[in-house]
Amino acid sequence: MLKIENLHANVEGKEILKGINLDVKPGEVHAIMGPNGSGKSTLASVIAGNEDFEITEGSVLLEGEELNELAPEERAHKGVFLSFQYPVEIPGVTVTNFLKTAINETRKAKGLEEMPANEMLKKIREKSELLEIDRKFLSRSLNEGFSGGEKKRNEIFQMAMLEPKLAILDETDSGLDIDALKIVANGVNRLKNDENAVVVITHYQRLLDYIVPDFVHVLLNGKIVKSGGKELALELEEKGYDWIKQEATV
Amino acid sequence: MAYTEEELKKELETKEYEYGFYTDIESETFPVGLNEEIVKAISLKKGEPSWMTEWRLEAYRAWTEMEEPEWANVTYKKPDFQAISYYSAPKKKPQYDSLDEVDPELLDTFKKLGISLEEQKKLAGVAVDVVMDSVSVATTFKKTLAEKGIIFCSISEAIKEHPELVKKYIGSVVPKKDNFYAALNSAVFSDGSFCYIPKGVRCPMELSTYFRINQAGTGQFERTLVIADEGSYVSYLEGCTAPMRDENQLHAAVVELVALDDAEIKYSTVQNWFPGDKEGKGGVFNFVTKRGLCETNAKISWTQVETGSAVTWKYPSCILKGDNSVGEFYSIAVTNNYQQADTGTKMIHLGKNTKSTIISKGISAGRSQNSYRGLVQINSRAANARNFSQCDSLLMGNQCGAHTFPYIEAKNKTAQIEHEATTSKIGEDQIFYCNQRGIDTEKAIALIVNGFSKEVLNKLPMEFAVEAQKLLEISLEGSVG
Amino acid sequence: MELKDKLVSSFMAFEDTVDVNLPVHEVRSKAIKDFENLGFPSKKLESWKYTSLSKLLKSDYSVFPKNESSLEFKEVKKYFIHEIDSYKIVFIDGIYSSHLSETSHEGLDVCLMSAALSKPKYKIIIDNYFNKIAKTDGLTALNTAFSREGAFINIPRGKVVEKPIQILHFSTGNESSLLLQPRNLIVVGENAHVQIIERHQSLTDNPVLTNSVTEIFANKRAIVDYYKIQNDRQSASLIDNTFISQQQNSHALVHTFSLGGNVTRNNLQFFHKGEYLDSTLKGVTIIGDKQHVDHSTLVHHATPNCESHQDYKGIYADRSTGVFNGQIIVEKEAQKTNGFQQNNNILIDDTATINAKPQLEIFADDVKCSHGCTIGQLDDEAMFYLKSRGIPEKEARALLMYAFANNVLESVKIPEVKQRINKLIAMKLGVNLGFDL
Repeated sequence: MLKIENLHANVEGKEILKGINLDVKPGEVHAIMGPNGSGKSTLASVIAGNEDFEITEGSVLLEGEELNELAPEERAHKGVFLSFQYPVEIPGVTVTNFLKTAINETRKAKGLEEMPANEMLKKIREKSELLEIDRKFLSRSLNEGFSGGEKKRNEIFQMAMLEPKLAILDETDSGLDIDALKIVANGVNRLKNDENAVVVITHYQRLLDYIVPDFVHVLLNGKIVKSGGKELALELEEKGYDWIKQEATV
Repeated sequence: MAYTEEELKKELETKEYEYGFYTDIESETFPVGLNEEIVKAISLKKGEPSWMTEWRLEAYRAWTEMEEPEWANVTYKKPDFQAISYYSAPKKKPQYDSLDEVDPELLDTFKKLGISLEEQKKLAGVAVDVVMDSVSVATTFKKTLAEKGIIFCSISEAIKEHPELVKKYIGSVVPKKDNFYAALNSAVFSDGSFCYIPKGVRCPMELSTYFRINQAGTGQFERTLVIADEGSYVSYLEGCTAPMRDENQLHAAVVELVALDDAEIKYSTVQNWFPGDKEGKGGVFNFVTKRGLCETNAKISWTQVETGSAVTWKYPSCILKGDNSVGEFYSIAVTNNYQQADTGTKMIHLGKNTKSTIISKGISAGRSQNSYRGLVQINSRAANARNFSQCDSLLMGNQCGAHTFPYIEAKNKTAQIEHEATTSKIGEDQIFYCNQRGIDTEKAIALIVNGFSKEVLNKLPMEFAVEAQKLLEISLEGSVG
Repeated sequence: MELKDKLVSSFMAFEDTVDVNLPVHEVRSKAIKDFENLGFPSKKLESWKYTSLSKLLKSDYSVFPKNESSLEFKEVKKYFIHEIDSYKIVFIDGIYSSHLSETSHEGLDVCLMSAALSKPKYKIIIDNYFNKIAKTDGLTALNTAFSREGAFINIPRGKVVEKPIQILHFSTGNESSLLLQPRNLIVVGENAHVQIIERHQSLTDNPVLTNSVTEIFANKRAIVDYYKIQNDRQSASLIDNTFISQQQNSHALVHTFSLGGNVTRNNLQFFHKGEYLDSTLKGVTIIGDKQHVDHSTLVHHATPNCESHQDYKGIYADRSTGVFNGQIIVEKEAQKTNGFQQNNNILIDDTATINAKPQLEIFADDVKCSHGCTIGQLDDEAMFYLKSRGIPEKEARALLMYAFANNVLESVKIPEVKQRINKLIAMKLGVNLGFDL
């Protein structure tokens, strides 16, 4: 599904990612953990194609196709979805209108007709129930005045609507209380199948109680320094990152 | 690679005026220039009664004493008023009962504009009074309206058929000496629309007029008069497109609205006259006086979407004379390339408990200058007057300007006035967010601009909202729409 | 004779009293020509739409006071912020009073414009700064033509002036009507800090018209904290023209308290010459009778990454008129500008008028600019609440009005100035608020 080979990336001339290798297969859930400033969010942005970051070496491949030179929307059309850590506000654009545009633009890129209105409505109803989203919420302006929890739930709702192949959840747990966390995790688990993959980026192990990863990677100073199973997350929770830092320097 | 801002800018610049075409209909045109003889000739040509001729002459004499206004934040080459022909009409003045009799070339023009008369008649329930180069050539739905006692015709016809109404109200809201362009219009107006809604009648359909400027070198001087008698309601739509022309064309219309006690007038405009090309060559000069008078409990609501014209100078206003009367102004003004717009409103509070709302959205791109100029005036006797104004500007690129000039004058202690203005740009993070969801930059901008303009778009009648959204996209995004 | 003609013709008499060989005299000669061309501003000018000078200009003003007057400190003590140690530059009928003043040349110059214009050691400063940012409108040109006296303050680089500087102008009524034209120049060096308090005070009912011009230069990282206290008699009018030029990282704050006087016009203009600087303009206006106060502000953002904050509150009673004419210009180069402007007004009587014209002129796209303007009255519910707690109507109103103006006072850095303003406001509102303001 996703293959990252020796990825180096800069922001404003400063190297943040220093040779990342990652292989995510369909049906897998990978967690990427690490302390603040280790490059976790940069990795998410680079995969999604944010032009503030420059790839200096290596490549990002989705189902064998290199993404490096593709525009963000082209990546999205191919099935890359990023749940933003800080979703932006777009005043005056309702959640529904935004989603309609996103879905139809993606369909257009694939040479498909626009989704019929009744099908769209049915899908919106179905997915909003899954994420326990109130109807009124759908006619509000995108992310404007949303609480932290609402923003994150809205991100996962969009993911449910767009049905991506690869979903990257960037700090989706931050700002969520335990009930909202369960709803979001439940949503992600229900959407999970053998054809798609999820990369969970997080600082804490908390979310991983609910979205159980197959693999856990520790990112430190722009490199993956340790990989393991879900038990690695528990170990990190217990012992913090210091022992990894020591291990890495040795 | 993603769509860069540079590419977008380039595309915006090269976007040609979609509706730039010219209908070759034989026209009868007066010699250029203006003097009392021309004014008399216009009046004679139209078979007007002598009181109308005299009225025009008074306006003309006043105009000769006046100077062109300079205060607006626009610069342009002043029109040579002696180089304009003040009358042009299709040679064969047609009287049609059905569209089949209409000049096929004219119908073809409307098709290009996307205005199908038949469709409009059948689907939208809109009666269309088409004004083609100053003279009304087709009027529809008259019968349905006549049953309710509603008069909807050309102003020339009204002068002849309903002189008592015209005499009473013409110049009552915009006096013939009001300003330079209003005086000029009063002297030489060629045609326009007239509408009267009798007491207690709710007009069953949206009334609509499409204006076009056609004949080369012909000034367009429309005159519109809408009277809503006590307790009546009317929604009036005005839409404009003009063919592409090299020389600047002058448009100086006057619109007067009279809302008597408990009446309501909703006046909506979509204006996309030729804005000039990407070098700023050509385009329409739009110097319009629009004003409405509200008697007790009356309401006038102006909604406008302005994407066209090279230079716009326009302030649809409300005189809130009666107690409890309400004035509203909702506006979207888009400028691109070298366009200049100085537009806004005046809310004059004279009566008690009067209320006004102003929502203005300005979008500037290219090398354009977009100004909001508004006046909120609370007279000393206007107890408990309320005003809320919000003026938001969106800038696209670093070659354009957005300006806000609100004038607030209060002479009553119970007045409550709130004015807010903001200036912003489209954030790169907003674009990236949209991109990540599969929406390309161009579409993302359209989406964000639509969101920005939403409060105003929502005020448009359905028939217009779609066209207005399309216009916004055309004016700003090139390929979309 | 019209005042304009009188002034133009008295320029020759003026030349007899000054050294015409100084380079500054060329500036004056040019200015009198500018004034001759421009004259006094009329209401036809957009920037003077709401303020008329025509009545004021009818008086037959003396341009040069005939005799020197003296005042004892105890007569005028209450007009000083006397609770604190300060430098003082005091003028009586336009003439320097060494008796009341306390100037300095130790580590800084707090002295007279007349000295600065004539002494060779100040030549370089005069050459570089004098009349460099003052606009050439009619009134400023008039002041420049007759520029001779005023305050000259020169703070060298790195100097933090430890006590405030007070500039006071008294008029005694020795003339039947008097035109004063003080000219101030304030140059604040890199990293230097200064606090200045300015006041114009008439002691008589004879008409006085002051046309003051102040140029302020804030160099890199300088901090200029300026307070204008305007609480003059009904017979006195003031046209204050203040121009401020700011370099990189400097902060300039001007507070204007307009509490009295006949016609007061404050032209306050900020020009940005460097990045990351900050301009603050605040004002409280509380007037009644037939008083007229006009705040015309301009912040000209010409450089990136700068901020400006404007906050003006006004309370208008009787037949008074308030004008707020606030302008923010953001040039194409001034990306990342943050410009904010707020103007709130309360009308107490139906005979009072407020005219507001908050303008934004923006030519750069990556900016955050906003303005807000409100006109309203005291909150009925709040009034009721206070009254239900036993506070009488008059005090309740005063309390609410005080609260309305208060956030402008919060940024006043000299406690004694804050106290004085509080007292003046309480007097103005006609109450003893009974708590320590």
